[in-house]
Amino acid sequence: MFKPELLAPAGDLERLKIALLYGADAVYLGGKFSLRANASNFTIEDIKEGVEYAHKLNKKVYVTVNIALHNEELKQIREYLESLDQIGVDAIIVSDPSIIEIAKAHTNLEIHLSTQNSSLNKEAVEFWKNEGISRVVLARETSKEEMEDIKKLDIELEVFIHGAMCASYSGRCVLSNLFTGRDANRGGCAQICRWDFDLLDENNNEIKGEKPFTFCTKDLSLLKHIPELVDLEIDSLKIEGRMRSIYYLATVVSTYRKVIDEYCNNKEKYEYNLKYEQILRRCANRDSVPQFFNGIFDKNMQYYNGRMEVSNQDFIGLILDYKDGYAKIEQRNYFKKGNKVTIFGPDEEFSFVIEEILDEEKNPIEIVRHPKQIVYVRVPKKVSVNNMMKIY
Amino acid sequence: MLKITAIVRNLNEISLLEPLVDAFIIPLKDFSINYESYFTLDEIKQINTEKEVFVSLNKNIHNNELDDLKKVLLELNELNINGVIFYDISVINLKIKLHLNYDMVWAQEHLTTNYSVINFWNKKGAKYTYLSSEITKEEINEISENTDSKLFLNVFGRVPLFTSRRNLVNSYIDTFRLNESKKYSIFKEEKTYPIEDTKHGTTVYTNYILNILDEINNLKIDYAVFNPYGIEEKEFISVIKNYKEGKPISFPKELGFLDKETVYKVKKNV
Repeated sequence: MFKPELLAPAGDLERLKIALLYGADAVYLGGKFSLRANASNFTIEDIKEGVEYAHKLNKKVYVTVNIALHNEELKQIREYLESLDQIGVDAIIVSDPSIIEIAKAHTNLEIHLSTQNSSLNKEAVEFWKNEGISRVVLARETSKEEMEDIKKLDIELEVFIHGAMCASYSGRCVLSNLFTGRDANRGGCAQICRWDFDLLDENNNEIKGEKPFTFCTKDLSLLKHIPELVDLEIDSLKIEGRMRSIYYLATVVSTYRKVIDEYCNNKEKYEYNLKYEQILRRCANRDSVPQFFNGIFDKNMQYYNGRMEVSNQDFIGLILDYKDGYAKIEQRNYFKKGNKVTIFGPDEEFSFVIEEILDEEKNPIEIVRHPKQIVYVRVPKKVSVNNMMKIY
Repeated sequence: MLKITAIVRNLNEISLLEPLVDAFIIPLKDFSINYESYFTLDEIKQINTEKEVFVSLNKNIHNNELDDLKKVLLELNELNINGVIFYDISVINLKIKLHLNYDMVWAQEHLTTNYSVINFWNKKGAKYTYLSSEITKEEINEISENTDSKLFLNVFGRVPLFTSRRNLVNSYIDTFRLNESKKYSIFKEEKTYPIEDTKHGTTVYTNYILNILDEINNLKIDYAVFNPYGIEEKEFISVIKNYKEGKPISFPKELGFLDKETVYKVKKNV
């Protein structure tokens, strides 16, 4: 029975391991020549470690090499691709076709085409298929109906299901270049689309609404539409966000894992679980909508909240160890005795009220207020390394 | 020989521009974006000029537009045009499949940034490339030395910065029930940027009118493109005329990214 790949972002090795542990089938990450220059990009040694870790779990690692190259980068790209080939990455994700030629000539790397190329239609996808591309990441503007038609071609398709959106067609924005000198198509995007602007009329008078004018978009969430994507046999369902926290990643990956599994394991009895939607909404702290999936373009896709994204404080600790009824925890946000909390992992979760906290020297304490402070919390059930504790 | 190339804004302008230019770019209605005016296929058929003609189909093409795209590409094959300017890869795929005669101009706006990718598209049948306006003079000349493709470059006029499928201005007006205007701009950090919302989406243009005319002789390009967007007809024609005659023009020098290298940063030394 068909089951799509769940593909998650990995900003560093810690996030790579968390994503795979919490249910991703594959991760994508960037090293050199990647469009998230501000993510903690991987060295070749890091990628090698990540690939070995993933392969032990029978999972995959894709490396984004998706910048629009300038002449100077051409001189370094071949050596880099050869290194990726040698360490066994499962595929590279490219947008600049010159990389396709170099990869085909000098490596055995499997090649996926990045969403940066804005593949929106069957003819474009057919072109890339004929070029030996094994998978195309569709443009985020592609609707379900369009996906269905494109899927008739015999090529793997990857679709974004969750996370932030470009306000522009991917690759068709250089606002960052102009405002900050940082090249949007070479990993420097400064997210100018989230800035506020004054909107002026033909006489240069401001047209002022209750909130400032911005290009800012709501996030994408296709949680409700997972059954449709599975039925379309979309090969890979992709989560955005290489710069997101481990808590965000664990929450989003494990939630989609559950929905995919629940639908694929029993299509007839599957029911949409509103609780999952609530979990995602609380974790991201931003509105999300299906964006272009239903083929509708309207004002409800835009975000006029007049503020930047604020991360919530729910994530309070990462479980480092467990022994004799105590969880060794690294603090991520303030918590104290008496707080009702939830510990969750890839497979289970439970809630309880914190009754006892010990410091590193095993002295009782009331409050955990220091970032990354190590403490021991008495827990009612056995917990595992890399479980997470959040406010109930 | 450098070819002076004008984007056509109205059909009457063609006869005024004809003595001054070597080539025209004509935006095809419903298949091109980021221009001031667009022309139907019937209008393009009426154009009678001895100059080179390139028809622009530089829009991102959605799947439901493919049937119409195929029809216009076939009809263009019956016209005496020199080339089709394209952004979406569907256009060149159809050109290959349908064995169309005209040449192709690869014009993926901000992505036409190195000679290797230009040579890739040359091998696929795009013998021309429309260069990115975000690369430097040195990069342009290095590209030229390493490719056989003929190179277009914007040398005068506003340049698109941002193209979206979203109707960003209309969404805002609609959300807060504001009065519509015939034209819009956005203002930030003491600068004003034209913004336009059409049925195909939203485009933002540079706050400045690019003017690299003083640098043209130092650039190894083949087609120097003059864009009339937002400029009075008389002024636009006088810019080209004065340039040809080696006289000063009434717009300040504005080099855009020609002398500015954009950067990207990678945190670790990878």
